[in-house]
Amino acid sequence: MSVEIFVTDKAGLQKFYEAIMANHETYAPVETFGKFDFKRVARLTECDPESPVAKTRSIKPLFFPRTSRVMKYIATSAGTDVSETDEDPLAVKRVILGAKHCDARALQVLDKVYNWDYIDTDYQKRRENTVIISTRCDKADTHCFCTSLDYDVENLDAMDVLIVNGADGKIYIRAKTEKGAGLLNSEVTRHASPVTEESATPELKKQYDAFAASFRLRMDYAEVNAKLSKIFDTPEFENVSGNCVSCNTCAFVCPTCHCFKISDEKVKDAGVRYKSYDSCNNGYFTLMAGGHNPRPAKYRRWRQRAMHKFVYYKERFGENLCVGCGKCTISCPVNISIFEVVNQVAQ
Amino acid sequence: MEQLLVPMICKVDKVIQETPDIRTYRLKFREEGMMDQFTYFPGQFVEFSLLGSGECTFCIASSATRKGFFDCSIKKAGVVTADIHTSLEEGDEVGIRGPFGNWFPLDDIKGKNLLFVGGGIGLAPLRSLIQYCTDNRNDYKDFTILYGARTSADMCYKDEIKEWQDNKTLKVVLTIDKPEETWTTNVGVVPKILEEVVKPVIENTMVITCGPPIMIKYTIQSLVKLGFADKDIITTLEMKMQCGLGKCGRCNIGSTYVCKDGPVFTNEQLKNLPDEF
Repeated sequence: MSVEIFVTDKAGLQKFYEAIMANHETYAPVETFGKFDFKRVARLTECDPESPVAKTRSIKPLFFPRTSRVMKYIATSAGTDVSETDEDPLAVKRVILGAKHCDARALQVLDKVYNWDYIDTDYQKRRENTVIISTRCDKADTHCFCTSLDYDVENLDAMDVLIVNGADGKIYIRAKTEKGAGLLNSEVTRHASPVTEESATPELKKQYDAFAASFRLRMDYAEVNAKLSKIFDTPEFENVSGNCVSCNTCAFVCPTCHCFKISDEKVKDAGVRYKSYDSCNNGYFTLMAGGHNPRPAKYRRWRQRAMHKFVYYKERFGENLCVGCGKCTISCPVNISIFEVVNQVAQ
Repeated sequence: MEQLLVPMICKVDKVIQETPDIRTYRLKFREEGMMDQFTYFPGQFVEFSLLGSGECTFCIASSATRKGFFDCSIKKAGVVTADIHTSLEEGDEVGIRGPFGNWFPLDDIKGKNLLFVGGGIGLAPLRSLIQYCTDNRNDYKDFTILYGARTSADMCYKDEIKEWQDNKTLKVVLTIDKPEETWTTNVGVVPKILEEVVKPVIENTMVITCGPPIMIKYTIQSLVKLGFADKDIITTLEMKMQCGLGKCGRCNIGSTYVCKDGPVFTNEQLKNLPDEF
């Protein structure tokens, strides 16, 4: 794919966004009670594609909904009648505006688990039909640490279209995939002008360097990963998890947590099966009938959470499961920070 | 994913009350011809739904060498299994997904002496392999089954055990935990009987064991003490599972998915897992 970069100003970018909303099913951050959630939008005034990273929830629910109906069934005298549920509303062609880099990266990481062995075709269809437009942050939030992990934030290829507020005050729009290039070809040309890679690169670099310099949190990922993989039995997990109230909020807001449960609900002879979010912080998560539980204590469940994020997933699928977005830390009612947990344990 | 969570419907063909709290359900697919497509190997499991109540993980307790049906032996232990025991009878319908997971290493055990060590409901996955191996008896050398239960009433598959005892090519050793008036053979926990009564030949022998976690632990210790190599000790793990597809994250032990990489493991593999099962 030839690199296509366009340059525009604030007004041009807004017109570009409006053109997308007019012609495509579009999702963007919409503010409700001080938090931004990705919702279906028709006009730019309804949303803020540049919503602050710390206040914006993940785009995960657009690919892995909080709850989905798996099937319906009816028991009749002739037998049980099982039917799959209606059309998937998330599998249509759509565009997401204002996704953060960490969110886009999270999907790239999740692709691995959904595409090994049994393929999750629903997830795959939702992914294929979605164009993700991601604006690079200008400044890190207090709890952000994406630049400390195992992926290259500057050259991230997890989004279809990259938008950068250049250091020169201009806005750069760059296609990162064929899908993204297709969208730009049809929507951007009237509102922005093409530029060469040579002229854009220094501006993008300057912006990235200023962004990278704004991080409060930094760690040596390779060292933390190596140390964690050797200290399963450390008592430090008891210290770091002591305050946890097992509310599972961290897992629900996490862009990469993907554990789910299957539950049935029945009224008389008809029932529905649901698939919904679950979390390894739940005491019953691994509890078996008969009472045996491999992770009966809270510190064991926190160890699973930290190790799955920083060791196990990396071992299995080659990527760190934590993307460093800080959402769990911001939402935690008792201020547990995954950054501090892994660093303290790896000490 | 969603369509992979939708079960196929099976009819309960027969219910066998094995012990006061274990029932074996013999199942047949409702849809004609489906049974022939349902190919499985000893050690694999299914997700079994009592629709409306919930879905549970059970190993398949029969062998595909016995055609036309498959068995699940279910111990009353939790919410769904209690519902199954109270409400699921002959002619009723259940949902089945599967088969899932890996299976016993059929190639590795060929031409070997086989030693089965089971406890309680843990005989269910072994029964699948025992049936498979007795149906191909000439492929194996000495064939020993050691089975223990808390009491004589708690022994599963009583009729089938009699068949095994009558089969002159099998050696069957039974034990119960505490003495009973009418019980004339061994009394004592499985590892003790293994060391004192069975005294197995080590050379060219593969051991397949399953039972309650505590029994597996001490049995493996005994086997290692007797001189068995870790790679010759095979067991099948009990873990909480839901999807069976390597997605829902419940059965992870370290980076291992028990539902995909297991449930059958050699002791050599188990030693490399974090101690969390």
